[in-house]
Amino acid sequence: MRIGVFICHCGSNIGGTVDCAEVAKRAAAMPDVVYATDPMYTCAEPGQAAIEEAIHTHALDGVVVASCSPRMHEPTFRRTVERAGLNPFMFEMANIREHVSWIGKDVELNTHKATELVGMAVEKLRRNVPLHSQEFPVIKRVLVIGGGVAGIQAALDCADGGLDVVLVEREATIGGKMAKLDKTFPTVDCSACILGPKMVDCAQHPKITLYAQSEVEDIGGYVGNFQVKIKKRATYVDWHKCTGCGTCMEKCPKKDVPDRFNEGVAPTKAITIAFPQAIPKKAVINPDYCRQLTQGKCGVCAKVCPTKAIQYDMVDEIVTEEVGAIVAATGYDLVDWHVYQEYGGGRYPDVITSLAYERLMNASGPTGGHIVRPSDGREPKTIVFVQCVGSRDPSIGRPGCSGFCCMYTAKQAILTKEHIPDSKSYVFYMDIRAAGKMYDEFTRRAMEEYGTDYIRGRVSMIYPDGQGQLTVLGMDTLLGQQIEIKADLVVLAVGIEASHGAKELAEKLRISYDSAGFFLESHVKLKPVETNTAGVFVAGVCQGTKDIPASVAQGSACAAKVLGLLAKDTLSSNPQIASVNTLRCVVCGKCVQTCPFGAIKQVEERGRPQIRVIETMCQGCGLCTSTCPQGAIQLAHATDNQILAEVNALCQM
Amino acid sequence: MSDVTTKELRIVGFLCNWCSYGGADTAGVARAKQPTDLRIIRVPCSGRVDPLFIVRALFLGADGVLVSGCHPRDCHYSTGNFYARRRLEVLKQFLPILGIDSRRFEYTWVSASEGQRWQHVVTTFTEQIHSLGAAPKFMDVEPKEFKLGARVSTPILPLGAGQDQPLKELKTAIKEALPKLEVVIGWQQGRDPLHAVPLFMRKAEDVDKLIWGPCNVHNVATYLREYQGHKVGLVLKACDARSVIELLQENLASREDLTLFSLPCQGTFDYGRVEQCIGRYTQLSDVQFTQSAATVMVDGTSKTLPYAEYMQSKCLRCTSRLPKLVDISFGTDPTEDAKDARESAESLPPELALVESLSLEERMAFWRASMERCIRCGACRNSCPMCICRDHCISDTRDPHFMTQADTFLEKLFFQVIHALHLAGRCTECGECQRSCPLGIPILALRQKLNRIISELFAGYQAGSDPSQVPPLLCYAVEEPKIKEREW
Amino acid sequence: MSAYSYLTAQEIPTLVERLAPHFEQVLVPTEQKGVKESVIFAPWTKGSPISLAKATVPPKAAVFPKCETLFSYKIEKDTQDAPKLTLNPEIYAPKTLIFAARPCDALGLNILDRPFLQSHYVDPYYAAKRDKLCVVTLTCPSGCENCFCHWVGIGPAATQGADIVLTAIKSGYVAQAMTQKGQELLEKCAFKDGTDKVPEVNQARKAAWESLKPAPDLSQIHSTLAQSFADLDFWTQETQACLSCGACTYFCPTCYCFTITDEGDAQSPQGGQRLRSQDNCMAQLYTREASGHNPRPNKALRMRNRVTHKYMTYKETWGAFACSGCGRCIQHCPVGLDIRAILLAAIARTTNTPDMQGGK
Repeated sequence: MRIGVFICHCGSNIGGTVDCAEVAKRAAAMPDVVYATDPMYTCAEPGQAAIEEAIHTHALDGVVVASCSPRMHEPTFRRTVERAGLNPFMFEMANIREHVSWIGKDVELNTHKATELVGMAVEKLRRNVPLHSQEFPVIKRVLVIGGGVAGIQAALDCADGGLDVVLVEREATIGGKMAKLDKTFPTVDCSACILGPKMVDCAQHPKITLYAQSEVEDIGGYVGNFQVKIKKRATYVDWHKCTGCGTCMEKCPKKDVPDRFNEGVAPTKAITIAFPQAIPKKAVINPDYCRQLTQGKCGVCAKVCPTKAIQYDMVDEIVTEEVGAIVAATGYDLVDWHVYQEYGGGRYPDVITSLAYERLMNASGPTGGHIVRPSDGREPKTIVFVQCVGSRDPSIGRPGCSGFCCMYTAKQAILTKEHIPDSKSYVFYMDIRAAGKMYDEFTRRAMEEYGTDYIRGRVSMIYPDGQGQLTVLGMDTLLGQQIEIKADLVVLAVGIEASHGAKELAEKLRISYDSAGFFLESHVKLKPVETNTAGVFVAGVCQGTKDIPASVAQGSACAAKVLGLLAKDTLSSNPQIASVNTLRCVVCGKCVQTCPFGAIKQVEERGRPQIRVIETMCQGCGLCTSTCPQGAIQLAHATDNQILAEVNALCQM
Repeated sequence: MSDVTTKELRIVGFLCNWCSYGGADTAGVARAKQPTDLRIIRVPCSGRVDPLFIVRALFLGADGVLVSGCHPRDCHYSTGNFYARRRLEVLKQFLPILGIDSRRFEYTWVSASEGQRWQHVVTTFTEQIHSLGAAPKFMDVEPKEFKLGARVSTPILPLGAGQDQPLKELKTAIKEALPKLEVVIGWQQGRDPLHAVPLFMRKAEDVDKLIWGPCNVHNVATYLREYQGHKVGLVLKACDARSVIELLQENLASREDLTLFSLPCQGTFDYGRVEQCIGRYTQLSDVQFTQSAATVMVDGTSKTLPYAEYMQSKCLRCTSRLPKLVDISFGTDPTEDAKDARESAESLPPELALVESLSLEERMAFWRASMERCIRCGACRNSCPMCICRDHCISDTRDPHFMTQADTFLEKLFFQVIHALHLAGRCTECGECQRSCPLGIPILALRQKLNRIISELFAGYQAGSDPSQVPPLLCYAVEEPKIKEREW
Repeated sequence: MSAYSYLTAQEIPTLVERLAPHFEQVLVPTEQKGVKESVIFAPWTKGSPISLAKATVPPKAAVFPKCETLFSYKIEKDTQDAPKLTLNPEIYAPKTLIFAARPCDALGLNILDRPFLQSHYVDPYYAAKRDKLCVVTLTCPSGCENCFCHWVGIGPAATQGADIVLTAIKSGYVAQAMTQKGQELLEKCAFKDGTDKVPEVNQARKAAWESLKPAPDLSQIHSTLAQSFADLDFWTQETQACLSCGACTYFCPTCYCFTITDEGDAQSPQGGQRLRSQDNCMAQLYTREASGHNPRPNKALRMRNRVTHKYMTYKETWGAFACSGCGRCIQHCPVGLDIRAILLAAIARTTNTPDMQGGK
């Protein structure tokens, strides 16, 4: 073999703490290495051109690049060597930046370590063989999970681009959190007015199939060929017949049902349509409260329904959809703020979340847009807003900033003044984070035009004063003094985390998530909507905190990625898959038993049992290879001999 | 973080591409300072890490090995790390029996977002290895032999011989069944009345040669693989039957193909001891099996072999004399008497007790001395009923090239590790490997240790007890009550 | 000086001590602990215990090791010139004494000599070791249940292949020089003259012979096996119990098959080695062809090869059996497969098959 080795300086990123020229010199003495050099920027165009030229000049049949993480540039360099006529798998990378130069400062140790990593890569490369992909057809349909604004945007863009879209929404209506909002910052546009038309488009688009009140049960398959099982939860109302007239909801005798859509601001009925603009505008029975379903007597809704849509014996249904790509846009939920005993832990009715406050202000909300105290229905005159409740708090494991609370608090303060001109608002804040177009101007307006009192400091205690008001004790850290405010209503800007069930979904999607449950993108800067699972993309707050325009942008970005992916009629399979040496296989079936993808099958061949790998289903994990006692099934590009060569190289140096 | 400023040690890391390798990248991007000793091998999944890679690295002189994968439930390949967790935990607990400090191997989970955690893991592990110092090398340890200690003093169930009536009935039953079977495998007299050899009964007159007694040491289940898909009968001792059950568990035999015969077993000879007693002889005759001992005339001298002294150690500890699964059996099962005797059954067998009594360094010396006399004949492997690879053993091939042909004790010990790890959760402890070893190497200790680890980790699991169970390393549980997640 | 020396039983270590200075290594039967007793030929150092029992493993490895390096090789890179390959042949041949081997072990060495030394190609690795080898055998006091040396033409008191023969008598041992080499060594050891003990030695040898059961006539066994060769049912029947493990060949003092492998990497700092290792005809790799086809796919064919090689093909080539009757293949077989039984069955098969006889 003739191997060329390129030790990248990466400017001073590597060159600063690794003697790259020395590593190249030592690499030149390694087995089969005929050429070694240390370019300044290997990934830049001249660097790549130099690799191509070296392949031609030195008749190389394998290339090692020692630079950054292969997770970053392996695809880049594979294309480089391919351009020069080599098989892309005749290439190995040694990570001497993230794993060497950036984590230690000792040049001698780093140079030694870099040399060994290069030596390991050379030994691996010497055992590489050319691998070839296979083409397989793709299903030109996409699944969007979550019907919030990000999911809606992704669905609409994909559908407009010509793809069939399956949109799955857990709640009875799409719209997500945005549908609950009254106005949006910084324009104070009506939320429903800008989201509503998109929701309607979704419902009416011929290429979108909407499953509301449904959840993803199971996902199998791989990019281009996913099989998705969707559980349609029972609604007890035949939606084909339901016209959304609302008579059932009006007549339902059960009146004390907690209203999730309205954030518990007021009770609702056991059969509901979430809100007037709901899409689909269909009734749903809450089986936990419906008297017919819990006690077997009532049946009022069935009697009053003009289209006879009520169906008490409905059960959950599983439907299977086949799609080529998946967009996860599952949004967020609020952190459980009841852990804050100093804020009452949920015991005081007039301490509410900002999302509940949105429902109070919303004209289509339970109060018709009148701000009243949940305890006695009085109009509050003094309102205290508390920021960073469950954000930036390492003590509850939520050290991050929730991003948009500063902005909506300013918005709520402004709207409060507009609703109740003789009211007074106070905002307790840690820092004001208003980095966006017209954002800082907006918070200034809240302070200057609307007279909101911004107090830099934390609230230490909230308790009822016994005369119908709440005493809010806090600290003004700018003035260095204790503050005590008698408030009629306290609104907590509660931080966010990934919506409940996000982790379970991530496990089904085989993608990673962080401690708050937010999905992990493939690269923090350069692949913000891709994930490590091919064909799975993420949009909106499920990936991390962001406001509406950023969510919409990600929805569109996902659609662009999906449209690009599914524009092709076929995809290339990953050639790093397992294969069976039938001469050595004894057909014990242990690989069949352990394969996570059912990609290994026992078949009859010329009357004899044999083990076969289904190439498009194999994902290349290599579990079979470590399971097979004979080593008869080997994962290409990570064979036993390749890994042993690396072990030997490391342990014999 | 305290700096590791002393000389670098050799630490090998196996990191899954999707989570931990990404976590290490994240730590790098955050410029999280780490000790430089670790060298990372990128693998697709922690499930790809064959425990043999780790043993190989340690045998080649690595001072520490670290495996890191995605957090359980968050595997990129959905279940790869569930399997890894079981295999790696078993390996970790197994290493000390070889004389390797288990702290030299750790496995953990780091996600791609956990750069800080990765920094912590690397630092902690490197410090741990430095505190242990450079790994002692097998090559530097002087070989040393140790003598086996005492066995269980009294057998749990009565030993004995002489089941003439049940044997007659059994022969009749086999003759009746024979027309429907290709062969029935049992035992016949071998070169003299004190030695048996396997008997392959195809005709009625063959059945007359069948014997039952303390000489029937061989595990006839070993032949089952050759007869896969054929209708065969097996005459089984209770311990042999466990091997059959394990083969059924692994779908390597089909219950419909098998007709299983048995008599209550009352123990079989430990020929190492028998040979020591009777010595070299030319003429052996008049073998009598009485209730408590066998007597035999050897070159004109009468010798007595009390069963309690001359039966195999496993027979002294046996609590179940009649197999569960048999189709046809005669005679009475004495197993009921064994109910109170579990404790002695659970005490350590002598081979394992010996190795466990040694310090780590003494264990290395012990294995070196033991394996130096191994001549790699392969009897241990081929007499194992669970060694299903047969002609395709991984130790014989160059693809994969786990073993070289070099005749060093370390290569030979590595073979024993391969055999033991491939049997983890599958070994029924029939002891054929050790019985077959012409050089009396106590290799059973490795399997005995693994079985105890498996039993402790997986709710008392015993291979070959229930045909419907899946061997524990071929399946997983999402929650592992007995496997502690390592905090660091 | 006389060819006979006399020493007491206590003087056995003294004998080894006095012989040892003339050798670079002395291999003596040494007891091993374990789950059963075994005895191997191990390098002797002053004070190490000597067992006079028949060894579990024959001393074959002294001339034909389990594994030996034929040569090492290395490719050294030079940035200016083409890489240079260097080969270093390694013949390790210390002057060796095998002490207290049995007559069958010594005969085994003679059997190995023919293919390694007497064919058109002389094996230098074997020759070097063999040339520097001296063998002291111990007359077997009796036969034993497994061994059958008298079937193949020797006996418990045979002297072939020995330089010195030790025979136990009531009062001690008589060492008899069989070769010039042996004579010189014995003289240097300066024990008492043992000529007067010769009648006792003859008595002991006679007693050993008398302990043996009568042997069958194997003079025609090569043609008997030739007639059975194609009878696959016969071989299948006889090898049903075989596990194909190869213990019989590895413990055999006369099996000389080997395989050659290259280990290591020419370009690594350690370089590579070409190894020659004992191989065994019970293994599938022994005959597997590059295509994957194996002309001996099962144990019956493999065991047939072993038996017919020992009593038929080797005899046809060299005029003698490739078996010294040590019986280790029987003793160490995990399932007690008995090569004697196969021979007797082959004889019985031929006698009882008129057809085959008619075809003679």
